[in-house]
Amino acid sequence: MATTYLDLTNEVLRELNEIPLTSANFASAVGLQQFVKDAINKSIFDIANEEPQLPFLTAGESGATDPFYGNVTVATVAGTRWYELKESSSSIADDYGSIDWDDFYLTTINVSGESAPFVSKGLKFLNLADWKRYYRDSENIDDADGQSYGEPSFVIKSPDARKFGLSPIPDKVYNIHFYAFDKPTKLTAHGDTVVFPEQYTNVITAKTRYYIWQFKESPQQAAFAMDDYKKAMRSMKSNLVNPTPRTMTDDRRYF
Amino acid sequence: MAASQPYTVACSGGLVKSSNAIDLLKSPGVAQELRNFEVSIEGGYRRINGFSKFGSAQVTGSTTNILGVIPYADGVIACASTGIYFSQDGTSWLNVSRSSVAGTGDNYTAFTGRSTLARTSQGQISFSLFEGPDYDYGMLVICDGANKPYYFRMEGTGSNINSRTYFSDEVTVTGTKFATHGEIHDKHLVVAGVEDNLSTVYYSTLLDPTSFSGTGAGSITLSDQIVGLKSFRNELFIFCENSIFKLQDINGTPVVIPVAKNIGCLSGYSIQEIGGDLIFLAPDGLRTVAGTARIGDVELGTVSKAIQPLLTELANNINSYVISSVVIREKSQYRLFYTDTSVDENQQRGIIGTLRPNGFEWGETRGIEVTEVGSGFNTDGVEKYYHGSTAGYVYNHDTGNNFDGSAILARYATPNYDYGDLGTLKTLHFVKVSASAEGVVEPDVQVRFDYGNTDTPQPVAPFDLGTINPPAIFGDGIFGTTVFGGGNNPLIRVALQGSGHSNNFTFISDDTKAPYTINGLYVDFIPSGRR
Repeated sequence: MATTYLDLTNEVLRELNEIPLTSANFASAVGLQQFVKDAINKSIFDIANEEPQLPFLTAGESGATDPFYGNVTVATVAGTRWYELKESSSSIADDYGSIDWDDFYLTTINVSGESAPFVSKGLKFLNLADWKRYYRDSENIDDADGQSYGEPSFVIKSPDARKFGLSPIPDKVYNIHFYAFDKPTKLTAHGDTVVFPEQYTNVITAKTRYYIWQFKESPQQAAFAMDDYKKAMRSMKSNLVNPTPRTMTDDRRYF
Repeated sequence: MAASQPYTVACSGGLVKSSNAIDLLKSPGVAQELRNFEVSIEGGYRRINGFSKFGSAQVTGSTTNILGVIPYADGVIACASTGIYFSQDGTSWLNVSRSSVAGTGDNYTAFTGRSTLARTSQGQISFSLFEGPDYDYGMLVICDGANKPYYFRMEGTGSNINSRTYFSDEVTVTGTKFATHGEIHDKHLVVAGVEDNLSTVYYSTLLDPTSFSGTGAGSITLSDQIVGLKSFRNELFIFCENSIFKLQDINGTPVVIPVAKNIGCLSGYSIQEIGGDLIFLAPDGLRTVAGTARIGDVELGTVSKAIQPLLTELANNINSYVISSVVIREKSQYRLFYTDTSVDENQQRGIIGTLRPNGFEWGETRGIEVTEVGSGFNTDGVEKYYHGSTAGYVYNHDTGNNFDGSAILARYATPNYDYGDLGTLKTLHFVKVSASAEGVVEPDVQVRFDYGNTDTPQPVAPFDLGTINPPAIFGDGIFGTTVFGGGNNPLIRVALQGSGHSNNFTFISDDTKAPYTINGLYVDFIPSGRR
């Protein structure tokens, strides 16, 4: 069963020997109880800021468009370089929390009107400085004159972090698959559930205790709580983010 | 966890209503609410006893105010409606207000055959007991403020009242005038509040309370209307509306000496003798008339400053209340009841003052409706207490674990504790409560932080003290009743929650369980920060 906002709040309150809340008085909490509620949200944001690509923050289940990796798909338009990472978002406040820029994939498979042989390849991330230095000018001239465009090979990140760009500018429709992570939603109602598996809620409570002890002007207890938080965070990241074997590869580019 | 700190409080000082919240920080042992608790003579605050019906019958057979009640002989005399009633058991009441009783006494048959003497429009009763040289139970003189005083005497020690002899008649003080207050003083019956002579005290002949016209009888007129009389040592104190006098040498040349010219008494029914003092209700509170070391001198002192707001409210509405009082000697206790017969029984109030080494310490009663209370010794020499109510019953006062079957709601609220520093936030860890139970009891304790500030989280429900068992003492324990392991004064540990800059505790019980005494508290708290 998912852990609710009320569960988390009361866990911290009990640990601090404070008065637990009920579903009836949760919304009208005052004083320290309200501070604990606030601190829980602050702690969740802290955790997400420290490690925004935790699996439970994913924007959707991967592999929804089998067999492609990723949980977001954007179709390109011939002659258009920039695409919003989250089409439904109107501001950066609603955008994804994090993007895996190392895993953009381009394909014509499942694109209407396309048939074998298909295009299907990974896009390398190109930083803006390199793109501006080596590709921007020629692509812009082509766009203004011959409009021959091309098959994209690189993905670039817009300076406002709201869009991704393709280089070269696509010459037709492709599907771009990539992996995105949501921002955590602020908890408000007592029944709101946290996205963390219950096993890892101790990371939230440890950080919350850190804030509470600071509030109570007990630096020693705050230090203990921070230590608990760091240990718990390390364990969670170790378990969720880096559990697979790693091999070293050399993907440097040569010019 | 930061180092916790201790705080110990001994419960003493009683109810304090006249100190502000900051003043009370310096007096942790007192109570800011002490409802249906009394200050124990051994210290601590004890939940009061209850009361129960004396027998099952209403005195007159119907609902009516009990106007007077006093133990007499092996039973109780109660006045209600137009009669004066006697009962040994409270199940059958005999109207002893009779006409034309023989001067040599009537036997039971003759007495009950006499026509009843209607005591029309009886008011609150003033009883005076003249022991007499050889009377079995004494002569009881009844003044009611509407009729001539009436005496009643019963002779015969057999348990069956059919075998007894009865004496009774009206007493003529002056013509057909009524008297309101009576008092036996130095072998005389003294009456006051006499119709059309409200400033005059009349005293009977020596050793004959029934005669106000023989040798030794007389009267003295004062400058103020008399509201009460009390014999104290060799003097008779005369309480007037705005002054106090004392009558000396009643058997020689009576002389009246003023005691106070600007302090009077609000109700003669509040006057009692306790601890070598007379205590009475004055407009500014309860005062005592203490005899001093110097012969003939007295000292007037207010003893109720701690509960002044209660008494101010009482004094301001004195005509709304029926005042009655009693002294419970084994508890060194003065009880004053002020009953508003127009409101519900649960709202009826009283004051309990326990005389301790440092003077009176106070508590309150709620829910005891008392239209009259009386005490006296029964034939076994045991002092008994009875009170009456508007329901027409007489009750055994200060006994049992309930208010005639109803639960006793008792609350003892401590002052707020700042633990030495009002600016520091404290997280309560636990409290150990020293409690003495007289049976199996289950009180709760409620915690309120920062004077009940709504911006501070407050515990929703009281904390449970659990079950406190009475002491189990080898040799005294009763099989099947006594609970093994019960200590004399156990310390009950109650885990607490919450934090604040200050807090108070309120001990609450609302049940029909036995009384218990809260002796003191040990609070363990963790200070943290000054924000």
